[in-house]
Amino acid sequence: MTPATITAPVKSVAALMDMPEEYQTAVRKIVRSHAVNELYGAQVYDEPAIALAPNPYLKWLACRIAMEEYGHHVRFRQLGEQIGIPAAEMTPQGKKPLSIFEFPLKSWEEFCVVKLTADLAEILQVEDLMQCTFLPLRNLAKMTMPEEIFHSQFGKDTCTELVKTEEGRKKVQAALDQYFPMMPAFFGKSNSANNELYRRCGIKRHTNEAMRADFMKRVREVVEGHLKLKLPEVAEAA
Amino acid sequence: MNQSLREDSAPLAALRNSLAAAPWFAACGQPLGPGERDTALAYLAGLGFDRSPLEGVVGWSEATRLIQDPGWSRDLWAAESAAEKSLYREGLALYGESRLLELLSEITEAAAPIHDNVLRALSRAQIVDATLAKVAAGAAAQACHQQALAILGEAPPGHALTRKFQLFARGRWPLGLVARTAYVF
Repeated sequence: MTPATITAPVKSVAALMDMPEEYQTAVRKIVRSHAVNELYGAQVYDEPAIALAPNPYLKWLACRIAMEEYGHHVRFRQLGEQIGIPAAEMTPQGKKPLSIFEFPLKSWEEFCVVKLTADLAEILQVEDLMQCTFLPLRNLAKMTMPEEIFHSQFGKDTCTELVKTEEGRKKVQAALDQYFPMMPAFFGKSNSANNELYRRCGIKRHTNEAMRADFMKRVREVVEGHLKLKLPEVAEAA
Repeated sequence: MNQSLREDSAPLAALRNSLAAAPWFAACGQPLGPGERDTALAYLAGLGFDRSPLEGVVGWSEATRLIQDPGWSRDLWAAESAAEKSLYREGLALYGESRLLELLSEITEAAAPIHDNVLRALSRAQIVDATLAKVAAGAAAQACHQQALAILGEAPPGHALTRKFQLFARGRWPLGLVARTAYVF
């Protein structure tokens, strides 16, 4: 395990500028990643879900969720601008989004599965950031966490409703079978150099492998324990 | 850059500045006044639903039931979506994609605090329902987005989506059509 060489809190953007270059790079990398992926997720999953939702109640709920995900992008982008990340690098055109967004969303059931699984994965990432040494980022994580929890709970609640019918159960299982194999890669490669940098700088506490294992445990509890569906077999080591 | 494209819109700035002061959801449950009925009927007529009877809705539980009723009108939703697309195309021609999206995003960001108004309205009705609060806030945000499109697409003043926004801005929530009857909360 790589020990963190920086453990004292970095209290402000101004204080960040006095930190070693390696620390500044780590902060910029992770803020940029969140800014890009929050925006792209809203564009490819949350906005299209409004049209897919089966009634006005869920359509308007999807509207709000899309707004909240977009709002997360705005907050990360604002922090990114403060710490000197060029605006163009905080868009999907400027930096390639994560591979989990390559899944072509076609149905409401798929959207519910995305929220159930991908937002649970996001919760784990944000949990880690809530203990990071760069306090503006820690505070941002604390701000977004309640909405991330709601989004994941929304996925669980809607899937719970859907699996009450045989047809719904089949659709949710099919969505899981197609989408879930993309999830382990969300946590990054094992023995990742970026992850080692983050841990050395006290930006993250856990390895990608540990976070992936934690995610698999938590998602299995929901999918198999609660929904009584089968979690597809996946290669956990990315 | 095409010099003929516009950069800013004073009416859009006025819309953005007005959102914080509007009495979002404050009139929900009260009887509809004549002016509100006229606005609602103009909204429906503008989308081709001029023969729909109009009913008020007295409480949040009834409103919640109506917006999940299997008999909800997909046609009204589709008509709104078609109007949005048409206005988006007009806005695109006037502002270009990048600036149009920036301006629409400003309204989306300005509409985010409406969630607090919903929480207050629910609190007055002694309801604690985090999901319903987000549903209502989402509906209001959609109306703000549609009004922004109407402004940027230079729709005439009485455009259906403007009428819909006016209902929201007066504290109402147009819930849509169920079994051919229009409901405004």
